[in-house]
This record gives sequence, structure tokens and C-alpha cells, in this order.
Amino acid sequence: MSQTLNIQNGKIVTVPEVATIEEIRDEIREVKTFYLSIDNKEIWNNFKYRSGQFIMCTIFGAGEFAVSLPPSPENDRFHITVRTVGKVTSALHALKPGDKVGLRGPFGNGFPFDEFKGKNLVYVAGGIGLIPLRSSIVHALQYKKDFGRVLVLHGARTPDDLMYKENLKEWQGFDGFETYITVDVPTPDWKGETGFVHTLFDKANLPIENTIAFVCGPPVMFNTVIGELMKRGLSDENIYSTLERHMKCGVGKCQHCAVGRTLVCTDGPVYTYRQIKTLGEEI
Amino acid sequence: MTMFLIKKADVGKIAQELSREYEVYGPMIEKSSGQTFFDRVEDLAEINLAAPIPSNPPKAVVFPQMERILAYEYDRTKNAVKMEPDYRVVPKALVGLRPCDLAGMLCLDRFFMGQEFVDEVYLNHRKKMFIVTNTCITPFKQCFCVCTDSGPAAKEGYDLNLTDLGGEFLVEVGSEKGAALAAKLGLAPAGDPHLALKNEKVDKSIAMFEDIAVDSKAWISRVMNRVTTGFAKEEVWEYIGDQCFECGACTFVCPSCSCFNIADVSNPECAGCADRLRTWDSCSYEGYSRMAGGHNPRKPVEDRRNKRFFCKLSYSQMKKYLRPGCVGCGRCAWVCPGDIGLPNVVTYVRREITR
Ligand SMILES: Cc1cc2nc3c(=O)[nH]c(=O)nc-3n(C[C@H](O)[C@H](O)[C@H](O)COP(=O)(O)OP(=O)(O)OC[C@H]3O[C@@H](n4cnc5c(N)ncnc54)[C@H](O)[C@@H]3O)c2cc1C
Ligand code: SF4
Ligand code: SF4
Ligand code: SF4
Ligand code: FES
Repeated sequence: MSQTLNIQNGKIVTVPEVATIEEIRDEIREVKTFYLSIDNKEIWNNFKYRSGQFIMCTIFGAGEFAVSLPPSPENDRFHITVRTVGKVTSALHALKPGDKVGLRGPFGNGFPFDEFKGKNLVYVAGGIGLIPLRSSIVHALQYKKDFGRVLVLHGARTPDDLMYKENLKEWQGFDGFETYITVDVPTPDWKGETGFVHTLFDKANLPIENTIAFVCGPPVMFNTVIGELMKRGLSDENIYSTLERHMKCGVGKCQHCAVGRTLVCTDGPVYTYRQIKTLGEEI
Repeated sequence: MTMFLIKKADVGKIAQELSREYEVYGPMIEKSSGQTFFDRVEDLAEINLAAPIPSNPPKAVVFPQMERILAYEYDRTKNAVKMEPDYRVVPKALVGLRPCDLAGMLCLDRFFMGQEFVDEVYLNHRKKMFIVTNTCITPFKQCFCVCTDSGPAAKEGYDLNLTDLGGEFLVEVGSEKGAALAAKLGLAPAGDPHLALKNEKVDKSIAMFEDIAVDSKAWISRVMNRVTTGFAKEEVWEYIGDQCFECGACTFVCPSCSCFNIADVSNPECAGCADRLRTWDSCSYEGYSRMAGGHNPRKPVEDRRNKRFFCKLSYSQMKKYLRPGCVGCGRCAWVCPGDIGLPNVVTYVRREITR
């Protein structure tokens, strides 16, 4: 057996590395965060990733699935946040701390952060769309002086569906970091905003000049938010999103993730809205 | 280039010599059906260099229809994981490969080994291989390799290339391995007149496409332009999509189709154990692009057919294969129950046929 090619450009390509679940936290209904570390110390120390990349996670006996990396590449605890959807994700939710999983990756392009220096950053996340944006938000927070205004606008169905509640509280305390939260359906004790996430734009006094927007969420929300951003004058090349497709290999071979003329696993998952428009496919 | 001659009666010696070191694969005529298949050879005498193009491409030799790429065992009580990648390097000799099929394999090589990531599973299948190609001195009914620059004679990628000159074969050497084998067999040297004779045979073969290769005519280059630039009309794709049964046959017989699915097949006796299987898949299947939760961004079949012909006919895809993805073997036209093999699609796109 030759192991030499299993790691290419610092990425675990074919045979997963065994990792241990250190801790599990409940987020919202059907969503949990799993803190993980790779058992092989040498590989773990060299495991470097960028905001916006993803990994392939094997649940032994069940299968493998693609999952975003929500932690910041620097000084953040490694974890994934997963919603139960089907067979493999349910098998993960049944695991306990101390159990083993397999990891391959990191894969995908990630956000081109070098191009964002000095700009305002606007994050618009609907529901669990906050998961793939979290890494980039924490990165922006850690390097706040490199950017202008940094805003997080998060909408969820009900107050119970708000993602990363502890993080949101923590972020609100950071100097110059603005968070705006809204829910579609309030509970009696909800004191915050009500309405879809784009209704926060006025309140947030949304910057348009010199601004990059990150939009992630279900297709309806995505289309409304993009429409509203463009109406306000944001150019399509300054709007970023990450796409989800059926993935099998993660390395550009199985072609399951083909979208338009690109492959999400190697050309994406981060695309500008300008690119998305040329794909000629549904989101 | 070094060249030799081998008598027709002796040509079997090549496979014989190779069989000492390699598993031998070649074209054989199946008695019951009369069809040619390219497969593992048990009885070397069955290799038939005069047989028509095989019904199946040699793809399965380097990219099996189903294979285990990994086996793992997770013992939860001991919290231990055992993982074994299933790579075996078996030396294989392909004897009597048609030029289009070699071109198809070169597409696969470039796709699996020449992109950002090297596919180790494929690499191990391909590692120890000896290739003997066979020039098509007459085309077959469904061929159009002359339109896709992949025949009727192989130009690169072989160890030895055979051309039937009548009573003997011209043996062209394409690699050091090939030279070593020729030396071992003690073949008689060939000269310029023999090469001239080969070229004459090839020219004659090309001229015969007009009369013999009548099933498939493809005006590839013009259509490649349209497919690449998205200039082909939506209605044409719809018309093509309407005729597709989503059977996947075109993919499975195509020498350059490479899509696969991966599934962990678990062992009922052991909860954490599974074999990770990689199997051929086709972009024509609805499940191909369906995501967890059931959302399918490519539900209409014409979107998925469009993907196939983009794969075979676009310049963007050419960048991955360093040649057109279609190698002109004509097999998809042969098997398609909807009559939308590649040559017909080319005609529809070229003539903008919509109904
Ligand atoms: C880039 C990217 C980032 C993502 N990030 C996140 C994230 O951060 N958090 C999150 O929760 N989700 C994320 N997802 C979505 C996540 O990958 C899917 O929800 C997950 O794949 C669902 O898997 P499942 O097995 O639970 O679902 P299922 O619907 O059961 O099936 C999905 C998989 O199960 C297997 N399977 C099911 N049925 C069969 C069968 N009959 N035969 C063989 N195999 C079968 C297949 O491998 C199939 O791909 C992301 C997806 C992508 C592409
Ligand atoms: S597309 Fe059809 S004709 Fe072209 S190489 Fe594939 S099977 Fe052969
Ligand atoms: S996408 Fe379709 S045409 Fe392209 S290689 Fe895969 S199965 Fe073949
Ligand atoms: S062989 Fe014909 S009918 Fe079958 S999937 Fe291919 S194009 Fe469709
Ligand atoms: S996941 Fe296999 S090509 Fe993208």
C-alpha cells in the first residue's frame, strides 16, 4: 500500500484520518456542534484550512458527508455543526464524546480574504446558513482593524432557531462589531425584531460603497436578500455565497457536484453572485 | 522511430511473451453472440486482431464497474478503528487495443492523474501496464474517429503499435518497454518502405469512412464551438432530453466517461464495519445530482443531457483531457434506445433541430 499520495497539498484525499469527538453541544432543534481532533498528532498539527472550505466526514458504518468548517483558521476550537437530514447525519447525532469519526480534506476554494482588506463586511445568514459563514465572521473579528464596518445580520424562523446563540452574544460585545437579529415568528417573551432578515437593512444603515456581502441561507431567502442588495446598489461581484451540492469525492473526480460548467468541490463552494448568475442553474 | 516486422503467423508470440509478466486483456469474439468483447484472456489463441471494434471499451481494466477502495472496522467497545485501503498493483497487458479506445484511456489518464488531485485508486490500476495498439485498416460501421482526431491509427501512448500490412504486421515501438519486448522477440527490422506502406493503408482507411462508416457522421468542430459558448438553443436540448430514457447505457460504453458514486456498504454483523465501494455512475440518472433532503437542482432531464454533451464536446472539458472528450467510437449511438447517440446530437445541434 502506498500512503504517499493520501496527502496532497496538505489535504487528506482518499483514506480518512481517524478523529475523536471531544465534546458535543446542542445548538438548536436537530442541530449539534461536534468538537473534533485528528488522532495522528503529526497530521493534526499540519491540518490547515481557510474560511469557506469544507471537509468530508465519515461516520463508520453509515457513510460520508460534506460539511463546512465553522471555526476560524486561527485560534478557534475545531468543530463542525450538523443538522440531521438523513442516514449519515443521523448516525453522527447518535454518537457520544470519545467516539471516532473519519475526516478527509480540507477541500474547496475558501473566501479570498486578501481582497477584502479595508472593506466593510456584511454577513447575511438565514437559519443554519450561519454555519458556513461563522469561520469568516470570527476571522473578521480577530482581524477587525483590517476591515471597515463588520455587520452580522441573522434571521431565523423562531427565537429557538437562532444559531450560535452564545457566539452572537459574545460578538455583540466586541468593539465596532454590529449584530442584528430577527425572527419570522416571535414567541411571547421575544423582545427583538420580527420579520425577514432583509427588513434589518435600514435599521443597520447598510453600507454599500466599498462593501462585501456574504449571503447564505435557504433559496427563497437567498433570492430576496440578493434582490434587495442589488437594488441598493451593491454589485454582483461583491456578493459572495457558498453553494451546496451532492458530493462524493471532494476532489473533482466523481463529478456529482457539477454546477454549470464548474465543480463545487474544487471551483467552489465559494462563488460570487456574478459567477452564480453564469452557472445557469438553480441555487 | 524504431520499427520491426512480425509475420502474421507469429503475432501471437507478443501476447505469449507478455503473459509471462502481465495479465493479458484483448479482443475476443464471443461464439454465442458473434460480438467482440475486450476482456481478460484465458486462452491466448482467442485474441482476435481482425475482430471488429469490441462492444465494450477497455475502461473497466483501469476503472472497474464496481470496486472496493477501502474497508474499515470500527470497534466501539475498544474504540479502535482499522482501515485498509484496497489498492493492488497488477501488471496488465492490453493487446490489440483500437486507437479510439487508447485515446479514451488517455482522457481518463489526464482526468484522473493530471488534474489538481491525483486519483490513487486509478493510478494503481494504471501503474504497470503494457499497451499494444492495432491500426484500423478498415473502419467499422459506427466509427467516426476521423472527426475526433483519435484514429484510424494511434499516434501516442502505446508501447507497441501493430499495422496489418498483408502478410505481416508492422511493429512500431513507442516506449523503452516496447523496445525491450521487440528485442526479446528478436524481430526483423523494418524500413521506410514499410512505413510508406502503413501510411498508404491509413490513407485508404480514411478514404473508406465515406462508404463504410455510414452509421455515424459527425461535424464535430463546428458543434464544439456552439456547445462551448452556450450557443446551442435551449429547445434543442429539450428535444434531446425528450428522447432520453435515462438508462445510462451511453455512459457505460463510453471509453472516456469517468463519473462514479461512492457508497459505504455496511456489514450486518458489525455495526461499525463497511466496505467503501466506488461504482460507475451516469449524469443521465435523476439521482446523480439529487441532494440530501430531496432538492434536485438538475431535475429536468435535458439539463443532465446537456451536461453529457458538454463533457464530450466543449473546449472547457478539452482542457482536462487535452483532446475532445469524444473519441469517435460510436458506441453510444449503438446502444442508445432513444436514438440520441453523439453523432445524432451533433446533427441536432448543428441543424438546430427542435422537433
Ligand atoms: C460544501 C458543503 C457544506 C455543507 N455544510 C454543512 C454543514 O455545515 N452542516 C450541515 O448540517 N450540513 C452541511 N452540508 C449538507 C450535508 O452534506 C448534507 O446534509 C448531508 O450530506 C446529508 O447526509 P445524510 O446521509 O444525512 O442524508 P441522506 O439524504 O440520507 O443521504 C445523503 C447520502 O447518504 C448516502 N445514501 C443515502 N441513501 C443511499 C442509498 N440508497 N444508497 C447508497 N447511499 C445512500 C449517500 O452517500 C448520500 O450522499 C453541506 C454540504 C456541502 C456540499
Ligand atoms: S461519446 Fe459516444 S462516440 Fe464519443 S467516445 Fe463516448 S461512446 Fe464513443
Ligand atoms: S458527466 Fe456524464 S458524460 Fe461526463 S463523464 Fe460523467 S457520465 Fe460521462
Ligand atoms: S443511452 Fe440514450 S437513452 Fe440511455 S441515457 Fe444515454 S442518451 Fe439517454
Ligand atoms: S464531490 Fe466529486 S467532483 Fe466534486
